[in-house]
Amino acid sequence: MAVQTLDISPVGRVEGDLDVRVDIEDGVVTNAWTQAELFRGFEIILRDKDPQAGLVVTPRACGICGASHLTCAAWALDTAWSAEVPRNAILARNLGQITESLQSQPRYFYGLYAIDLTNKKYRGSSFYEEACKRFAPFTGTSYEKGVTISGKPVEIYAMLGGQWPHSSYMVPGGVMCAPTLTDVTRAWGILEYFKSEWLESMWLGCTLERYEQIKSYNDFMAWLDESPAHANSDLGFYWRMGLDVGIDKYGGGVGRYVSWGYLPHEDKYQKPTIDNRNASLIMKSGIYDGATDTHLTMSQERARENVTHAWYDEAVTDQHPFDRTTKAVHNNKTSFDEKYSWATAVKDIDYGRLEAGPFARQMVAGGHQGEEWQHYDPLILDMYKSMGGPSLHLRQIARMHETIKLYRQAEHCLREFKLNDSWYVKPTEKDGRGWGATEAIRGALCHWIEVEGGKIKNYQIVAPTTWNVGPRDADGNLGPIESALVGSPIADPTDPVEVGHVARSFDSCLVCTVHAHDAKTGKELSRFRIG
Amino acid sequence: MANLLWLQGGACSGNTMSFLNAEEPSACDLVTDFGINVLWHPSLGVELGDNLQKILRDCVSGAITLDIFVFEGTVVNAPDGTGEWNRFAGRPMKQWVRELSDAASFVVAIGDCATWGGIPATAPNPSDSEGLQFLKREYGGFLGQGFKAKSGLPVINVPGCPAHPDWITQIVVAVATGRAGDIGLDEFQRPKTFFQSFTQTGCTRNMHFAYKVSATEFGQRKGCLYYDLGCRGPMTHSPCNRILWNRQSSKTRAGMPCLGCTEPEFPFFDLAPGTVFKTQTVMGFPKDMPEGVDKKGYIAMTAAAKNAAPAWAEQDIFVV
Repeated sequence: MAVQTLDISPVGRVEGDLDVRVDIEDGVVTNAWTQAELFRGFEIILRDKDPQAGLVVTPRACGICGASHLTCAAWALDTAWSAEVPRNAILARNLGQITESLQSQPRYFYGLYAIDLTNKKYRGSSFYEEACKRFAPFTGTSYEKGVTISGKPVEIYAMLGGQWPHSSYMVPGGVMCAPTLTDVTRAWGILEYFKSEWLESMWLGCTLERYEQIKSYNDFMAWLDESPAHANSDLGFYWRMGLDVGIDKYGGGVGRYVSWGYLPHEDKYQKPTIDNRNASLIMKSGIYDGATDTHLTMSQERARENVTHAWYDEAVTDQHPFDRTTKAVHNNKTSFDEKYSWATAVKDIDYGRLEAGPFARQMVAGGHQGEEWQHYDPLILDMYKSMGGPSLHLRQIARMHETIKLYRQAEHCLREFKLNDSWYVKPTEKDGRGWGATEAIRGALCHWIEVEGGKIKNYQIVAPTTWNVGPRDADGNLGPIESALVGSPIADPTDPVEVGHVARSFDSCLVCTVHAHDAKTGKELSRFRIG
Repeated sequence: MANLLWLQGGACSGNTMSFLNAEEPSACDLVTDFGINVLWHPSLGVELGDNLQKILRDCVSGAITLDIFVFEGTVVNAPDGTGEWNRFAGRPMKQWVRELSDAASFVVAIGDCATWGGIPATAPNPSDSEGLQFLKREYGGFLGQGFKAKSGLPVINVPGCPAHPDWITQIVVAVATGRAGDIGLDEFQRPKTFFQSFTQTGCTRNMHFAYKVSATEFGQRKGCLYYDLGCRGPMTHSPCNRILWNRQSSKTRAGMPCLGCTEPEFPFFDLAPGTVFKTQTVMGFPKDMPEGVDKKGYIAMTAAAKNAAPAWAEQDIFVV
């Protein structure tokens, strides 16, 4: 197919429909509303079902983050049933989670995000021609390579779970599989292929070891200047073009960040409880407040949901997810003064609305909260400070930076499997409350479960997109994407690619329809789907 | 050259994600080598906004020839049959689905949601979801019993949660290369070439099935998953062990019981307490026997199997 000239930037994003309304005044977005437009009612389906139903149903809430849902569902039951989870099983779950995330990196970056750089708005940029050559859909050199190779990491997932997406191989007490030596050696081969064919050769233009020496903004700039191979790698090219076209200047958001942390250490979480999770994680949890430069540890009891502007017929006071009842309103009429989205407004009890996602994870990773042995990485926080705050450009850099760390963690799992040890310890089913969390590639994900009388009494999911795409809360505070849209410059109101950049930079799990309104006349300027 | 339009209703995008794992042909190959003109796709589409709506309208009017309409996800009818709980491009998605299906030469339902309703249609089916031409086992669905696309074929159902990328790409290639006439459909409108055989066909645990050696718990290195862990491989029509997943494995090979996800009842027993990953029995016999086997035959098979079972069958076979 010939490359088509795009009047409106492409790439919808899956997972239902999201409408975005923005008001534009003097070329700048002055107000924004995000609307989730699909309701399937998974929490309602799970009510009164087998306690393990979440292992089957919740991966199917999201075909993109299915391993992450499965991770949450399994740990939630482990904590509810006081299960013991063998060391091998922790590693096998982590490896599944990691390979799903590795898959998403080139698929998201090329397939969904970078296409925007071929928008005609950037015709004046000296990078434009090269951007089209690399990132044009289907035919771009990097696009074709990146989208195709994205299927490789999840081949490892298939060895563990039989298939990706939508396996249920993580179960309370461990995993269903018992990999053999050939599974491990083949997995190494696949990882090496992914590294040599894309990660080092195309994305970085250097070895992982060289890239890993970068610890600060200045280190990064020195790396960029060190060699044409660095500057012309997809990372180097994206960095330079991003600054050239100014996407480092907007799309910042609420300036407060959340991560549940992820990858429980194989020796530290074999007797999982809700309370001992934080101290067991390789990648620590946390909140980072940019205004006060404060880090603290995050915990599930701090989370609240508010449905003042969401299509649910429940109390409009802030509720903890354990107390939610998920009652959908019948007539989901859009009213921006009242209710306008299926997403709830998620918040922290003290810090309010928080951004979730890979950028948030790196901001959290730059703090000294948590345990001494836990992962610490100052790079993105230093970039944030050096560049004067958050932007949609830095959000991408943060996301792709994580690829190298994920790769190393995958290696760790393969190295640490003790193939003759157990993979599963059969747990005793019982009633109780559980909570499981992880970091899907696009951000903080967790499940709350309450089992009573041998069946599910209540199942609640708060997804990263719920944090990011939620509507206003009871006090009128904007959600993170709403907030990130405000202040965005709009060069051409009939083709506001900038709005697309911002919304897509969150990798929101929804398809958006933008209604661009002129703030003075109220006239609808254009409608299109973004993601 | 064939024009293809792919839309999503009550979907998780799992079939799209599965499709993007394809190789030989890859998603890009379909475009560059097989002349598939992707008019639009939620993740891959380049024409959007007013342009997208124009494409949709032109497909409906016939100004653009719509060769293949692929639908992923359920048709959402809630509330009260209006479909307002799933809006797309300014109107309920179900209205687009009706008009585009009438305009298309071939209508392909990808995945369980689009074929039979899948997970969203699990009781109590909060979104009032259904598949294009079935609701679970019940014939009819959203488009109705008599529906036929312009080619004369009813909806081509490619079930699975998700569908395997090769099942999707091969059907698309068959249509694009003029071999649609060779697509034989079974009673549930599934292409027989994929869905005549069983999930068990080619399973690495077949010897354990034959000798009635059970995997009694997860994480074991031997045994068949049918006897205790609820595997539906012997009753499920799919090529999961003939055409491997992600080029590597299958659920049953990896140790996960087949959930029967290519059959209309998935998820079986509506996930009632006690039914997940546990073989349902009546008087000590599996409630669901291998397809076509009756109780008398099963008893005879069991006795013969136990008598014949060699000693190695009880030892680990998938060893380090």
